[in-house]
Amino acid sequence: MRYLMIPEGLLDGKIIPVTVVFMFADEIEEAGLTQDEAIIKVAKEFTGPVAINIFDKNAITTTSDGLVVEGAIVRMGAADGGKVNEDFGILPMAEIPYSEERIKDEPHLIQWKKLFPERKLFRGPDPAKKLIPVHNVTITGRASNNNSATEMMNIITMEELIFPILGQLECINDGNVIVGYTGEEISVGIGMTVAEQFGRVFPHPQFHAGETAHNSGEYAKTLKREIPCIVCDKKVIAEKTIRALKCGCVPARELGCSPVVLSVARALGSEIDFDRIQPSAQAELDSVGCTREWMHEKLNLTEEEVIARADELIPGVTDGKKHKVSEIVFEKELVI
Amino acid sequence: MKLMHTKLTEFIEKMHNAAKHGKKEKSVTIRGLENLKSAKMQSLRTGRIEDAVTDLAEMENIDSVEVVVIPRVPETMHTVLVKGKDKDGKTEKIVLEVINIIHPTEEVEFDGCTNIVDHRPKIGLH
Repeated sequence: MRYLMIPEGLLDGKIIPVTVVFMFADEIEEAGLTQDEAIIKVAKEFTGPVAINIFDKNAITTTSDGLVVEGAIVRMGAADGGKVNEDFGILPMAEIPYSEERIKDEPHLIQWKKLFPERKLFRGPDPAKKLIPVHNVTITGRASNNNSATEMMNIITMEELIFPILGQLECINDGNVIVGYTGEEISVGIGMTVAEQFGRVFPHPQFHAGETAHNSGEYAKTLKREIPCIVCDKKVIAEKTIRALKCGCVPARELGCSPVVLSVARALGSEIDFDRIQPSAQAELDSVGCTREWMHEKLNLTEEEVIARADELIPGVTDGKKHKVSEIVFEKELVI
Repeated sequence: MKLMHTKLTEFIEKMHNAAKHGKKEKSVTIRGLENLKSAKMQSLRTGRIEDAVTDLAEMENIDSVEVVVIPRVPETMHTVLVKGKDKDGKTEKIVLEVINIIHPTEEVEFDGCTNIVDHRPKIGLH
């Protein structure tokens, strides 16, 4: 059975603190293994810290700012020294059943209804089924696979990797990624969430579109600024954001008011729900240049122009370098 | 209450004493409690840990014993008090916050050893 991996070590001079492994639910099933067995088995291939994510490519998930995207992590693991901690090493994500009521409660899910009503939705775990009280995290030894498998850490060296879901989806789909440092705009944007049940970070609806989970003023931009990241090509997030806007989603109303979402809406000249951007969120946006005046400067570009100019229009990532996934992700064989 | 919980200072003393039962007294070092100034330690487990120290100290090939205390659940929740004090040291304002701390699990302390006996109850069955 194959698995994909990004090795621990240096990548473009940035520290990748743990080895990252991607496996696939359908291939695990074909191999006659349970997902837990697959995580325990692949863990034995490594002596160092490893984050292990199992994907269902046919399912969907959401980004923190509310974009619905194809492909979901359905189970995550952490391993170290070839072991997986019995209590804290594996955590499944919860399937969110489709219902009109769910879409009413979480209006960004109109994308689910309009684009993929037949697909299963996974985000974070069911809090009742996990032993660690707050974080959606798996831990074994040094390895921590956190925030529903999008922030990987070595807890001894304390080095961390921000690996948003769109970056991971590029990796499993042989696309393009940027390796860099997270920077101030993404540091702020991570806090501009939508409210979700069993979300990637928060177990229950907590911070709605237009609000900030960070609520820390000018400090928000510094929280993740220097942490290495692997994110998708900006063209990809431009396409996904445009698709969400075309589903009727509006920044600060259905979507989080992250700098990325706001940048795409501004470039297109599309609606932004200014009145719903809370003062605490605006203060963080101001700190990275996303002022009200900036938001009102509509560029009225076409969708094609926004995608073509995504690198210029969408902020985020410092010292970034684009890679074809084949340059950084390696396919390996796991003997069953 | 004395029977139910052990003073931190007594706990530390008990660990050292527990290593004196063999033919030769073994040294004991304790890590992980350095930040505690006052605490009551669960007595039932104190006795079992003393027993484990004695067990190891009585082994001929064991020269010293190390007692390492780490969080059982590798995420701990802490209250943070941010205190503002005046020039005389009087506390004028306090902001209460919370912070969750992520810790490594026990594997980081295994040192390559495979002879591991786990006496811990499963989480929720304590």
